[in-house]
Amino acid sequence: MKAKKHDISVRELFRQKLESAEVIPDASVNARLMHKLAIREFFHFNPARFNIYYLGGILVAGISIAIILSSGTGKSDKLPDLNIPGEHRDTVGTINITYPIKNAVVQKSGTPNKYITGSIRNKPVIKPEISAVNKPVQTRISKGTDAIITHPGTNDSFTQKGLFTGPSKKNTILQGGNKSEELIFESSFTEGCAPLKILFHNKIVDFDSCRWTFGDGGSSDKKDPGWIFDVEGEYKVVLEVFGPDGLRETSSKIITVYPKPSARFELSPDKANLPDDEISFLNYSADAVKFNWDFGDGTTSELFEPTHRYEKFGNFNVRLIVSSEYGCSDSLIVVNAFSDSKYFIDFPNAFIPSTGGPTGGFYSSKSDEAAQVFHPANSGVGEYQLKIFSKLGLLIFESNDIYTGWDGYFNGQLCNPGVYIWKVRGNFINGEPFTKLGDVILLRN
Amino acid sequence: MMSDRQIIEGCAKHERKAQQLLYDKYSRYLLGVCLRYASNKAEAEDILQDSFLKIFFNIKNFCGTGSFTGWLRKVAVNTAITHYHKNLKYRYNVDIDEYVSVETGTTSFEEDLFSSEELYKVLNELPAGYRMVFNLYAVEGYKHKEIAEILGIDTNTSKSQYSRAKAVIRNKLEKLGKIKISLSEKREYEVID
Repeated sequence: MKAKKHDISVRELFRQKLESAEVIPDASVNARLMHKLAIREFFHFNPARFNIYYLGGILVAGISIAIILSSGTGKSDKLPDLNIPGEHRDTVGTINITYPIKNAVVQKSGTPNKYITGSIRNKPVIKPEISAVNKPVQTRISKGTDAIITHPGTNDSFTQKGLFTGPSKKNTILQGGNKSEELIFESSFTEGCAPLKILFHNKIVDFDSCRWTFGDGGSSDKKDPGWIFDVEGEYKVVLEVFGPDGLRETSSKIITVYPKPSARFELSPDKANLPDDEISFLNYSADAVKFNWDFGDGTTSELFEPTHRYEKFGNFNVRLIVSSEYGCSDSLIVVNAFSDSKYFIDFPNAFIPSTGGPTGGFYSSKSDEAAQVFHPANSGVGEYQLKIFSKLGLLIFESNDIYTGWDGYFNGQLCNPGVYIWKVRGNFINGEPFTKLGDVILLRN
Repeated sequence: MMSDRQIIEGCAKHERKAQQLLYDKYSRYLLGVCLRYASNKAEAEDILQDSFLKIFFNIKNFCGTGSFTGWLRKVAVNTAITHYHKNLKYRYNVDIDEYVSVETGTTSFEEDLFSSEELYKVLNELPAGYRMVFNLYAVEGYKHKEIAEILGIDTNTSKSQYSRAKAVIRNKLEKLGKIKISLSEKREYEVID
């Protein structure tokens, strides 16, 4: 015999049975959780653990040490590691020049060569691997030309022949020695963001030939060349000017090219339901310290990884502008970030009501596998009204709850098999309205 | 084995070992909570994962006065509520008269007739809105007024949702119970035979 047990209500039953029930999670949950945790903690400030703040600190410290070291050794002709682009780019293209001219660092290198006789060999002043690229150029000093040369020791002034136009009105005359501390050339910039285009101007008025070496392996024989530095770094630009009688003048200047940051981000979730989902913006930008987000709906943020909740559905353009500590910037715009909406509502064209009496029309995807309730397949439905009419136009069912469908009964009686008309009205949760009309066949088994 | 206090202190310092211990000790209990709010186990495990992340990052806010399990459970329930809001697919439109008419029967059930797996299954199959209201009211013991605030619905809606949820559950359990009783009677008969 079965022992008589204490009878309890639904509420008590669930409370007693499930309040402290245990369910064993899948083993993969633990692994996924720990993985997620490790990532979150890396972005979370915690003095006891190596994380992004430490990484940032180390990077800042490393960069500042590198800057201190390089500025400390700059006078000993030490050049930074250079990337040799190999070709001279003359295209100006899409260069953003953001830096104004600053006072140039005056650095003299090379001394006037007093022993030039007839031909001059370009004396390498930079690292050997770079001089391997710079072919030694033989320059013959031509005599008896129109060139007006000032000889050492003379103070005669000469009229400018109007050969050169440049940013500076003040031109210098080849003097054949570094008598003055003044540089013999000017540059449009001394620092800026990569790729950086710089226009150089040779201030010497009259000379036979000149040679520029740009410190990245490139060189030019033009008087006023333009040069593009593609790669970040410090470059020592050297100008040598040659005149008759072995006159030679040289100057150098350090050009600092800062890295260009890159703006990159992703939206999560990638198929979002606006306005319900809170959107997380995952930031993958590099070399940047400042972030300006424009969510496209008139709101902005300066957080590294903001989250945002849109007020209504729409196609928004999300823009991120990043800037580096040097003021270099980059931007990325995602146009129509939320264009693929996944909302729909569809109705079947037949159903087979239960013959066991009215069910009330409650259903869920699992409970109605036998298609006993007429209901839509849907996603993202907000307001909803379903009406069902007989062929004579009699309203026999109405529901405002999408989870209550028609069970095939009217006033407690199972309806006759045949065609019925349905009409649905409402709107999706993004505000987009829908109205649909169709017919459905009531079948009996 | 570390005590709860040691585990909490370890987790507050973000020690991986303490976090792992906390997970090992409470994940089964919390998944039991989460599963009541989900439509399947995978969804429940998602909620569990989010709950643990919240727990690990907010454990320093646990003041230590109340029960620790109570606190953990509250975090899990709140996470489940957030999850529900995120996945909100529809809004309720239930009239008060439906609430009155729907209250049917007072059938009670034998305590041990159903296994917890079966009860979970019944909950999982409920529409999400019914499930939230039923869980919060019946198991968690919130008042309808509180539930209305939590879910952003009307107090009357909460009441009617609860009644309808109960009706659906009762219906399901009755069907299930009939099958089970007939099966068990059959089994007893076989034993006697």
